[in-house]
Amino acid sequence: MKSNWWKILGILILIYTVIVGMSVPLKPGIERADSISMGSNGNNASSISSGENHVIKVIGYNTNYKDNTNKAWLRLDTIGAVAATKFETISETEANVHFTIPTIFPARDTFQLLSMVIYNKEDGPSILPDAFSIRTNQRSNSNLTEWTVDPITNITDKPGMQFPYRSVLNETIRNTFFHIPLWFSMFILLLISIIYSGKYLKNNNIKDDIIASSLVNVAVLFGILGIITGSIWARFTWGTFWTTDVKLNMSTVAMLIYVASLILRSSINDVDRRAKLSASYNIFAFAALIPLVFVIPRLTDSLHPGNGGNPALGGEDMENTLRMVFYPAIIGFTLLGLWMTSILIRYESLKDRWLSRK
Amino acid sequence: MKKYTPFLTILSLLLFSSSSLQAESPAIDFLRSTGKIYSVIAVIVVIILGIAFFLYRIDNKLTKLENKINNEQ
Amino acid sequence: MNISHIVAIIKKDFDIEVRQRYAIAGIFLFAVTTAYFIYKAFNNLSGLEWNILVWIIVLFAGLNAIVKSFVQERKETYLYYYSLFGPLEVIVAKLIYNYLFTIFLTFVVIFVFTILFGNPVKDYTLFLKGLFLGTLGISSVFTFVSSVSGAGSSSGTMMSILSLPLVLPSVLLMERITAVAMRLITDTAIAKDLYILASIDLLIIGMVIFIFPSLWKA
Repeated sequence: MKSNWWKILGILILIYTVIVGMSVPLKPGIERADSISMGSNGNNASSISSGENHVIKVIGYNTNYKDNTNKAWLRLDTIGAVAATKFETISETEANVHFTIPTIFPARDTFQLLSMVIYNKEDGPSILPDAFSIRTNQRSNSNLTEWTVDPITNITDKPGMQFPYRSVLNETIRNTFFHIPLWFSMFILLLISIIYSGKYLKNNNIKDDIIASSLVNVAVLFGILGIITGSIWARFTWGTFWTTDVKLNMSTVAMLIYVASLILRSSINDVDRRAKLSASYNIFAFAALIPLVFVIPRLTDSLHPGNGGNPALGGEDMENTLRMVFYPAIIGFTLLGLWMTSILIRYESLKDRWLSRK
Repeated sequence: MKKYTPFLTILSLLLFSSSSLQAESPAIDFLRSTGKIYSVIAVIVVIILGIAFFLYRIDNKLTKLENKINNEQ
Repeated sequence: MNISHIVAIIKKDFDIEVRQRYAIAGIFLFAVTTAYFIYKAFNNLSGLEWNILVWIIVLFAGLNAIVKSFVQERKETYLYYYSLFGPLEVIVAKLIYNYLFTIFLTFVVIFVFTILFGNPVKDYTLFLKGLFLGTLGISSVFTFVSSVSGAGSSSGTMMSILSLPLVLPSVLLMERITAVAMRLITDTAIAKDLYILASIDLLIIGMVIFIFPSLWKA
């Protein structure tokens, strides 16, 4: 019982991950916002120009628009925001918002991006970043008073713990607790395995080889699960099961390297030589893995955060509420992996003892 | 390689069946409903299946080893 | 570590290569035949295809060539080596020899391609830099894997399964650098790619030298 505490801890953490990760609600958010009015020049929706009246149809997620304290703004970065002239509630998640777009925009590009902010007492603030691209006819750095008449003030957050809302991710943001920790714990397991491989090369103790190879076995299982779960996640956010995304393909190559090492093991019958070769290949493969997974994806465009110039996990992508589940999930999956490894190790050493007795 | 055969079969079946799921098919629509929450459940199910597969494999191996040891005695 | 020993091993390898003319001829014949095959199939190659096909042929011809650097030697030869040289000398000599061989092979393939399809390279310094760094990575991975799989059985397939995923980063980076040298893509930060390729090479060579002595005892 005493030596089993870490297994129980791992399972408890995983239970915590599943329960909290699945039951905490998402923040209310704006799923989409489209202009449904015809502009004065006869153009509709997609091209909005400055100085026009617009009705914007908003579809919310988890929102309570029937709460009658609704307010809406269109926000221009660093300058200010314009408030809605009228907020018509259709249902809890649908509303028509009327705006008068200001005539004068600051002296920047012809097209400028506006974010949409909706606030009510029940939901707290919800934001749709870069909701509209507006063609600006008049640009100047003075006379920007229209932007500061009705600033975004008196805002209080919705109480309680919520996960952030992202418009394409929706509920799949919860995959952060299942897909990413698989990769992290795979790396931890591989790291431990090269330590044991090094130990084997130093001492030639067959026990170390058994530990290292069992760790690689479980890590490969985690890696394959990581690829499958990532592929499912991609289907519902990026639209296909498989993309040309570098990180995806590099992780596949990494898996190929390690599956090859398992094949190498099974192709050699002599115990000592097998141990020696697979230990050296294991160390070499881990060294080759570093450029594969950490260097090359950062150079090329990628849809993953932390690659192709995107910010790494952190900043906007990881909020504190996510971290509260994400970090424990890594520990939980690693402990589970170690438990699985310990069973494999016990099987392999039993087999080894039986073979050597024969 | 032989020990991976059942796993690879399941994987290829999954991939084949998924390629027949077009964007408009009912299965995908179901997984998409309620803010795509069912795709998260699909991910959890895959992880549980993977661990179950691991347990199944080691169970089989142990049975074989037990039989060998028992036959010897 | 003794420079004269290293030179002696390289010279011995070269002598064997020249004496067993069929092996080296086979590899060059493989390269030329493949190139000719592509010539008959495509008639005309765009720069992009030229780039990719050259490296694929170099990759597979190099694989075939380097497999035998450990595989083809008999147990007695190993024992003889073991009594004469240290493991460091053997692996450094093998690395140098295989590197030179791969570069020679690459130039032969490029020569054949230039005759058949013309040469789309615009920036020769960048192309050569990419070539020298990339082949260094490829040949040292192949050397290491052949030393691993040479001790195992069924080395031919084993070798390609083990080494192809491992050389992928070097090959991709090299292909990118040479594509820039052919003006197929523009990249102002290509110097960074060169540094990364060089550091991958250093990492690989460092690992080979670090691990090989413990392999050698087996």
